[in-house]
Amino acid sequence: MSTIMIVEDDPKINQLLQEQLEKYGFQTVNVEHFDRVMEVFTQSRPDLVLLDVNLPKFDGFYWCRQMRQESNCPILFISARESKMDQVMALENGADDYITKPFDYDVVLAKIRSQLRRAYGQYAPQEGERTVEVAGLKLFLERMELSMYDIKIELSKKEALLLEALMNQHPRVVSRERLLEKLWDEQFVDENTLNVYITRVRGKLKDLGLEGAVETVRGSGYRLRATWEEGQ
Amino acid sequence: MKLFLRDQWPFAAFFLVQLILLIMIFAMDGYWNESLMIYVMFLSVFFAGAFLAIRYLSHRTIYQRLSKPVESLEELTQTYGNSPLCRAMDDISQEQYRLYKEQLHAYENKQRDHTTFIQQWVHQMKTPISVIHLLLQNEDDPTAESVREEVDRIKRGLETVLYIARLDRFEQDFLIEPVTLRSMVQNVLAENKRLFIRNQVYPEVKVDENWRVESDDKWLAFVLNQLLTNAVRYSAGKSNKVTIRAYERGAHAILEVQDYGIGIPTEDIRRVFKPYFTGENGRKYPESTGMGLYLVKEICGRLHHGVEMESEVGEGTTVRIVLSAVVPTLQESKIAES
Repeated sequence: MSTIMIVEDDPKINQLLQEQLEKYGFQTVNVEHFDRVMEVFTQSRPDLVLLDVNLPKFDGFYWCRQMRQESNCPILFISARESKMDQVMALENGADDYITKPFDYDVVLAKIRSQLRRAYGQYAPQEGERTVEVAGLKLFLERMELSMYDIKIELSKKEALLLEALMNQHPRVVSRERLLEKLWDEQFVDENTLNVYITRVRGKLKDLGLEGAVETVRGSGYRLRATWEEGQ
Repeated sequence: MKLFLRDQWPFAAFFLVQLILLIMIFAMDGYWNESLMIYVMFLSVFFAGAFLAIRYLSHRTIYQRLSKPVESLEELTQTYGNSPLCRAMDDISQEQYRLYKEQLHAYENKQRDHTTFIQQWVHQMKTPISVIHLLLQNEDDPTAESVREEVDRIKRGLETVLYIARLDRFEQDFLIEPVTLRSMVQNVLAENKRLFIRNQVYPEVKVDENWRVESDDKWLAFVLNQLLTNAVRYSAGKSNKVTIRAYERGAHAILEVQDYGIGIPTEDIRRVFKPYFTGENGRKYPESTGMGLYLVKEICGRLHHGVEMESEVGEGTTVRIVLSAVVPTLQESKIAES
């Protein structure tokens, strides 16, 4: 289990990050007294540090330099400042990446994972793999696999994203807008394409023997229904 | 010289009248010696002329200064010469310049403080926005969706404020380097995806993957952001497509944003780049600040990019950014290297 140290002076952001990271199986360490960042760092020996730039007393750049004297662990900056100068400063001071606020959990998680992978090897134990489960139907987000009754099928990225949204929301309705937003990665997706993906997801579910699991809710969106359970 | 003559002719006239008067008084008294009179007149005129000449020479700088328009502030502080009048002029212009500088500095400081304050304030506002943003990420109900939209709007507003504040210090805040157009466009689109989806408008991108242009990534992205926001806003409910394309025109690369929305009335087109001008469309869409296109124009000007706009009411609007030459595409540069 990787330990992540969060150095962020806004208590809410701190707490939200902590909760989110713990949800994905990371251990977190946070700093309460900002003159004792190094003490916490040396004691907890984190595998990765999330560091804010604007901190009371010394700024993140300073702490980054200090940490670098003791450790090579990945350091990610999280800051509201987005000027080139700040980003360059951060990297020059020994950081590995720079995330600007407001950020998405997904981005932070992805960057943490990629840094951990780089620093500690790809074959480190599969920790924090994101899975979603609804009544026996299990989605493995990293592997993009869907399983049910020990049958496994592979999904495309977009199918996985769609199912993730539907399963996370289960049993509530997910609006079309929300789904479009989820699917809109590098390539944007329009309404028709969404229909196509929905059809494909239904097909995949059918392959698992789950029919009618994705229900269309007129005028608002789609809903996942655990029809297989209801039938039993 | 002209000014000097104009300035001094009353003196010359007074002198001549006085001379004639004197001679006449002598003549009427019965004293008349022609050659002596001429000699006296000659001498007087000669000395008066010499006086004027010396006067002109010693004050020439003042007269020249006074008869020529001022081109720079520094000109006002030149020294005029050694005569009392010149020194007085020196002193006063020196003093004036100093006072002026002082005031200017005071205003500059005030302006800088204000800019710094705005920037800090925007950054402070980003923290609560981050918190709201994070809080909403795991929420999926319609209220959350709606709050997300509003957060987007605040974010966009803050962004604009930040960029306006930065514009003053543009020179320290830009870096021209090769920018890959396609990925920049895609990033900007991703940032605005909710805006697109909400308005049911979808982008169509026709930008070559390898194209790179000489520009500043961040500022160009901001410009594109403004153009897309406008394009989407004025397309909503009328058309569902916005086209972003890049093509070559002579030595230039053109980045074009075309919408098929409501268009801009001809009489407004010339003025849309003016600050705070919202025009007819602005009155229909309450969110217009009139700053977007002004910023586009300003930023492009400073990056040395051209801006062109074409629009027809009911047909749509096309805005083109004329960028400097296309950097050879990746493949081409690889070929060139090998």
